[in-house]
Amino acid sequence: MRHLIACLALIASPLAAQDFSEGSEARSWNLYAEVPAKFEAEVVDVLCTLTGDCPEDCGAGKRQLGLVRSADDVLVFPMKNSQPAFTGAAVELAPFCGQTVTVDGLMIDDPELGANNVYLLQTIKVADADKIKANQWTKVWAKNHPDAKGKGPWFRRDPRIKDIIATEGYLGLGLEVDEAFIADNF
Amino acid sequence: MRSQILTGLASAIALLAAPIAGHAAEGTRVQVTGEIIDTWCYYSGVMGSPDAVVGSAHHTCALWCSAGGIPVGLLAEDGTVYMVLKVGDDAEAAGGDTILNLAAHTVEADGMLYQRDGLNYLVVSEVVSDMDITNVNHDDYGNVPSFSIPDPNK
Repeated sequence: MRHLIACLALIASPLAAQDFSEGSEARSWNLYAEVPAKFEAEVVDVLCTLTGDCPEDCGAGKRQLGLVRSADDVLVFPMKNSQPAFTGAAVELAPFCGQTVTVDGLMIDDPELGANNVYLLQTIKVADADKIKANQWTKVWAKNHPDAKGKGPWFRRDPRIKDIIATEGYLGLGLEVDEAFIADNF
Repeated sequence: MRSQILTGLASAIALLAAPIAGHAAEGTRVQVTGEIIDTWCYYSGVMGSPDAVVGSAHHTCALWCSAGGIPVGLLAEDGTVYMVLKVGDDAEAAGGDTILNLAAHTVEADGMLYQRDGLNYLVVSEVVSDMDITNVNHDDYGNVPSFSIPDPNK
């Protein structure tokens, strides 16, 4: 009987809520639902994991990547890198796809809104190497857009964004709607 | 009595073990209608309330986030968020052209739903209908964030 109870406890333990904040050095973003979280995980191509559609390079940063946490096999979905610049995490994780890494950052935990196991990635560490900051996105963008050099942040200079705004407007409803809004509000 | 307890414990073990063993996601065919949203602003609250970070008020920011590779979601009419992993043949859900051109649009999507660890993941087979922006909310919220439209006076 004791053995059975011990076995039950062993199986049940991964299902209990776990605290991954211990040892985290994540910087706060003062978000209402943020929880620091440092954990070991395998970097995976989410589409591959769920559907079996698996390119060799995990999409080279163009597919969304996930983190399968070693402690409980939970698939954590990184939505954001560490830059306050409207930038995601796939580019940061792409070089490590298929590898086990230790990440540090912020979980966003708001089940009422549906935010479960979503993550802001701040650092990545592989084995004994030094941890690196998850802030490469804008550098990669600049390398891929040599013709978009100039003042201001990348999102003011991105050719695809500029093209859409030039035809649909900032509000997405056409240039006339923009003109009226700007006249009333600026 | 002892055998009943043992049977009960065995059932409990089987019940607890099931979610651990059965991780292979099984897709379900779904048809969903909703708005293509920027999930980071929606979930994090960094730019304001959920109602303010959708629609025309947030169109420009939705473009920035989509082009920046932040996951795009489909916010259904019942409030459920589906993380979009692929649209048609385009699996570039991190900053790809197809998903970028749908920012803030309301669409009717046909695809496969996969659920894992509290999130809904959607592989869109076909955008059955693209209704453009139907959530016209900039009169209520302005442009969110306020710097999304450059001040013409500066």
